[in-house]
Amino acid sequence: MPGTPLTIIIMEASKVLLDGIVRRNPTFVLVLGMCPTLGTTSSAITGMSMGLATLAVLTCSNAAISAIKNFVPAMVRIPAFIVVIASFVTILQMLMQAWTPALYATLGIFIPLIVVNCILLGRAEAFASKNSVWLSVCDGLGTGAGFTIALTLIGSVRELLGTGAVFGAQIFAADYGALLFVLAPGAFIVLGLLIALFNRITNN
Amino acid sequence: MKSTLLNMILSLTTLTLLVGAALGVVNYFTTEPIAKANEAARHEAIAAILPPFDHLEAQTSGELTVYPAFDGPDLAGLAVETYSDAGFGGRIVLMAGFDADGRLTGYRVLSHAETPGLGAKMDTWFQTDKVIGTDTDIAVRADGGDIDAITGATITSRAFTDAINRARHAFNDYNHGSK
Repeated sequence: MPGTPLTIIIMEASKVLLDGIVRRNPTFVLVLGMCPTLGTTSSAITGMSMGLATLAVLTCSNAAISAIKNFVPAMVRIPAFIVVIASFVTILQMLMQAWTPALYATLGIFIPLIVVNCILLGRAEAFASKNSVWLSVCDGLGTGAGFTIALTLIGSVRELLGTGAVFGAQIFAADYGALLFVLAPGAFIVLGLLIALFNRITNN
Repeated sequence: MKSTLLNMILSLTTLTLLVGAALGVVNYFTTEPIAKANEAARHEAIAAILPPFDHLEAQTSGELTVYPAFDGPDLAGLAVETYSDAGFGGRIVLMAGFDADGRLTGYRVLSHAETPGLGAKMDTWFQTDKVIGTDTDIAVRADGGDIDAITGATITSRAFTDAINRARHAFNDYNHGSK
C-alpha cells in the first residue's frame, strides 16, 4: 500500500509468515492435507521434497489468485481457483520431468495430488482472495514452510525409527529399526505424537 | 464482481484461455528436455540390465521396441521395452534384458502408477533368482507359478509377470527371425 511506512509492511509480512509456520501450521494445528502428509513421509528426503513442491505451487497460486480476485465472480470462484492451482501443478510436473528426472521418478505420482491438497484451496479461499498479492505471497511462503518443516520432521522420525537413518545417514544399525514406522500405521502414530508435542510446546 | 451469467462465462473462459496458453508455452519448452531425459533413462536402464556390449541397435518387434546389443559381431543380449495394461494404476512400462541364451538378466521399471509402498515396490521386489535367470514364462503363486507376489499387491505382481512374459515372447520372435 502506498504511503505505509516500511516498518509496518515488514511487520505485517513477518507476522503472516510466522503464522503459517507456528500459529496456523497446516499440519500440526489445522491438520489439513493429510493425504500427502501420510503418504510421502516414509523418509526425510521424500517428505521434504513434497513440502518444497507444495510450497512452490502454493506461493504461485496464492499470488495469482490474489491478482485475479477482483475479476472472478463469487459464484464461480472455486472452479477458477482450482483451474489456477491445477495449472501450476501441471507446470511444476513438466519442469520436474524435464530437469530433475530422478526426483520426478520418486515423487512423480504424488505431484498431481497437490491439486487436491486442501491447504491450497484453503489458503486461496481464506487468505489470497481477501488480501494483497504481496501478503498472499508471504502467506504462501509461510504456510508452505510450515508444511515443509512438518513433513521433514515426520519423515525424519519415521526414517530414524524404521531404518535407523536420517536423510540416508545411518545413526544406528538398521536391524534395530521397527519397519512399522516406515509403513502406513507408523505415519499415523508419528503424526499423532508430533501433533501432541507441537501443541504442548506452543501452548506454554 | 457480480455473479451474472455473462460475467461468469466471460471470466471463466478468459481464465481457462490464459491458463491454456501458459501450459502450451511450458509444454513447448519442456517437450525436448523431457524426451532427452527419458532417452537417457532408457539407455541407463539397458546398460544396467544387459551383459557388457559395445554397440546397441533398436528395432520394432510387433508392438514392442527391442534393443539388440552386440559385443563385436556376436549378440550379447537383447533389451525389450515391454508393458502391461493389467497394473493397478494403469499401464506399467519395464525394460527387460535377456542374454543370448534367453535367460532374463535383469529388469528396470521405466514408468508406472502403482500404489506407493505396495505395488511401487516392484522395482526391488522381483530382483530374486526366482525371476532373474529364468528362461521360461513366469507366474505368481496364486496363478500356479513359484514367484511370491508383493504382499498386498497381487494385481501389480500379475502385471509384472505379464510384462516380463510379453518381453520373452518378443525375444523368441527376434531369435527365430534372425536364425
